[in-house]
Amino acid sequence: MMAALDLEEQEQVETLKAWWKENGKWLLLALALILGGYAAIQGWRSYQSNQALAASTLFHELTRQIESGDPRRINDAADAVTANYGGSAYAPRALLLAAQVNIQTGDPARARTQLQWVIKHADEEGLKNVARLNLAGVLLDEKNFAGAQELIEAPHPESFDGLYADLKGDVLSAQGKKEEARAAYRKALEKTDVKNTYHSLIRMKLEALGDKK
Amino acid sequence: MFDFVHENKKWVQIVLALIILPFAFWGIDSYRSSGGGEPLASVNGEKIGPQEFDNALRQQQNRMREAMGDKFDQALFDQPETRHSILENLVNQRLLAMRAHSAGLVVSEEQLVQVIAGIEAFQNNGKFDKQSYASALNSQNMTPVIFEARMRQELGTRQLINAYTMNGYASGAVADNLIRLNEQQRTISTSEIALEPFLKQVSADDAAVKSYYGKNPEEFRMPEQVRVEYVTFSAESLQPQMAVDEDEIRRYYEERQQEFGTQEQRQAAHILISVAAQASVADRQAARAKAEQLLQQAKQSPAKFAELARQHSQDPGSAPNGGDLGMFARGLMVKPFDDAAFQLKPGEISDLVQSDFGFHIIKLIAVQPAKILPLDEARETIAQKLKLQKASDKFAELAEKFSNTAYEQSDTLKPAAELVKMPVQQSAWLNRGQAGTPPWTDKALQAVFAKEVLQDKRNSAAIEIAPDTLLAARVLEHKPAAVRPLAEVGESIRRKLLRQQARELALKQGADLLARLQRGETPNITWKTATAITREQQAGMDGELVRQVFQADVAKLPAYAGAENAQGGYVLARVETVKETAAIDDSKRAAYMQQMRRFTGDELFRAYLADARKHADISMKDFAADDKK
Repeated sequence: MMAALDLEEQEQVETLKAWWKENGKWLLLALALILGGYAAIQGWRSYQSNQALAASTLFHELTRQIESGDPRRINDAADAVTANYGGSAYAPRALLLAAQVNIQTGDPARARTQLQWVIKHADEEGLKNVARLNLAGVLLDEKNFAGAQELIEAPHPESFDGLYADLKGDVLSAQGKKEEARAAYRKALEKTDVKNTYHSLIRMKLEALGDKK
Repeated sequence: MFDFVHENKKWVQIVLALIILPFAFWGIDSYRSSGGGEPLASVNGEKIGPQEFDNALRQQQNRMREAMGDKFDQALFDQPETRHSILENLVNQRLLAMRAHSAGLVVSEEQLVQVIAGIEAFQNNGKFDKQSYASALNSQNMTPVIFEARMRQELGTRQLINAYTMNGYASGAVADNLIRLNEQQRTISTSEIALEPFLKQVSADDAAVKSYYGKNPEEFRMPEQVRVEYVTFSAESLQPQMAVDEDEIRRYYEERQQEFGTQEQRQAAHILISVAAQASVADRQAARAKAEQLLQQAKQSPAKFAELARQHSQDPGSAPNGGDLGMFARGLMVKPFDDAAFQLKPGEISDLVQSDFGFHIIKLIAVQPAKILPLDEARETIAQKLKLQKASDKFAELAEKFSNTAYEQSDTLKPAAELVKMPVQQSAWLNRGQAGTPPWTDKALQAVFAKEVLQDKRNSAAIEIAPDTLLAARVLEHKPAAVRPLAEVGESIRRKLLRQQARELALKQGADLLARLQRGETPNITWKTATAITREQQAGMDGELVRQVFQADVAKLPAYAGAENAQGGYVLARVETVKETAAIDDSKRAAYMQQMRRFTGDELFRAYLADARKHADISMKDFAADDKK
């Protein structure tokens, strides 16, 4: 074959060979790095999805325990999710459910810890707000008005305004601050859709304070 | 518990609420494949196509039809509001599915299997059944692959939603307040200021009537109307025209004896010496010899027939029973056997009978005679059946001719009517778009309001308004949409204006009296006897009055309140006593809190969704703008 090439071509082949000798190993290295990187990303993805699946399965187990109504088993299941998959979307979900049960079965202290964990560690902004409002509700019934107040003042997306204002009304009215409570409820009415029963609930609370309008 | 339902909700609102019913499992049966056509919406770059929308629309219609029955109104789904909310629902679903995915919410194979196995439609006798699964999906035009993928996505979305809806909160203190509020009892006396007496003090002249008429044309608008003549005929209506003669009835009776009772049945026993089809002549001879020997024994001592059968019969099915074959009707056995069995008398034993099975010796045990309705008693039923059948055949034969006649001779219905021997009838006034009593279904109205019928004065096409029922119509009179003339509506406008003024006077007097009572004056008022009410138990009082009564300041009793009533008058109320609720028990508090958690949970989800939408790139088709074009 070589004989078939003319002189000029032979020269080009020579240059190419020299270049390869000089740079070939770098090229191979770069290629290896790219391939390796790709494999690593794929591996990470598959690891991630396996982790998510495992967390989902554990969480599913927890939701089945909820039906049993046994706080010990529910808390154990929630702890298992957070201990093993604390970074997953299931950890805050598990703790919110467990906190719900703890509030209703008279263990607000444990519920408080769980809700605080969600406020601090959850990735989803929405869930932090769920936890904050739940926690404020717990503090309100413990008459820790200052603590509740602080949570209610936390920054939050505008669409949660109605919920925050309503709870603020609850906290103020529990302290006997009727005038301020009315103002909070009025704001909550303004920020919620009149079609929803939640709106009517707020109206009732406002009327309970003897609002004239 | 809470009386939150607004009474004055319009149908549309209820419908919209139904549509927004959050994501029922069967709710996302909208196909992903966008099909052709321009997308109706896009969510973060993902498109929602017309096919997906149509599927969602159709499903919603089906669900509504099931929920509302007769009250279902197809026209609702043409309204831009309805279409908009269906599209919005699809957008929300898509957005939530994306959110669930990016949050890392996933559904394992086991969870999926568990959920699918738990769906009743896929079960047979309470257990998951593959056959039922396949056929249920098939009936929805779906394959397991699509269904399972959809289900997986739906379950992931559910995990996202549940984190909000299931985590509502409630405060015990607030619950107590609400219970106290709901159960506080106030005893009130009322006094009504009716509108009617004020009618004498007011007047409305022609100028006022005319001015009202001019300002409110909408109120007097009449829809487009039409009166038609029509011919309708159906298989049923043809029935009286059908003649049936005695021969046909008799033939039917004879050919279908089984319809009129049971045939004769016989019970027989047999001894079989079997012979294979390919048996050699020698074998056949041997079998015959054996059978003949048995036949002799049987004839000699017929009482031992059963025993002989048990010992020697080569029919494994009957031998253990002494050869007994039970009851059978004519024609059920092989022909030679059948013929022989139906010639014997009870107790008699046949000669050798040869069939494909071999040699039989048959003994007839019993005969159960036929029990058949006599022809005279069956005649009426048969005649009816034959008429129905003939009418149905006739209908099929005439339907096409009827359609053609109505079409070809489009300036009169007479030939079509004569063809089917039905009268030409006249309708009352029909309104466009308002289906009425049969035959005036939506489909029929569409046909009579079609352009060629209305303007060109032609016969409508023959349309099928019910199974095996056709109708053709032509216009007699037509009234375009119009505003009713003043002369026709003047009197009712006058009455309305008078009532309006009288009402204002009544309300003013009521408000004046209330103000005087509240100032501590004692105007002359006749109070009715007192009634105790709570917010929940209103003893038939007007809702607005109850609200006012419970908002009245009761620091000093008696307190006063007042409100307009439904009859246009005014009601004054005097609050006499206030009784707080007794101690609140735990179960009641728990029930209230449970409700409140539900409300806050739903609101948490709404807030989340609103925020998610705010941060998403969403574009949607504007149905209302479309409508205006």
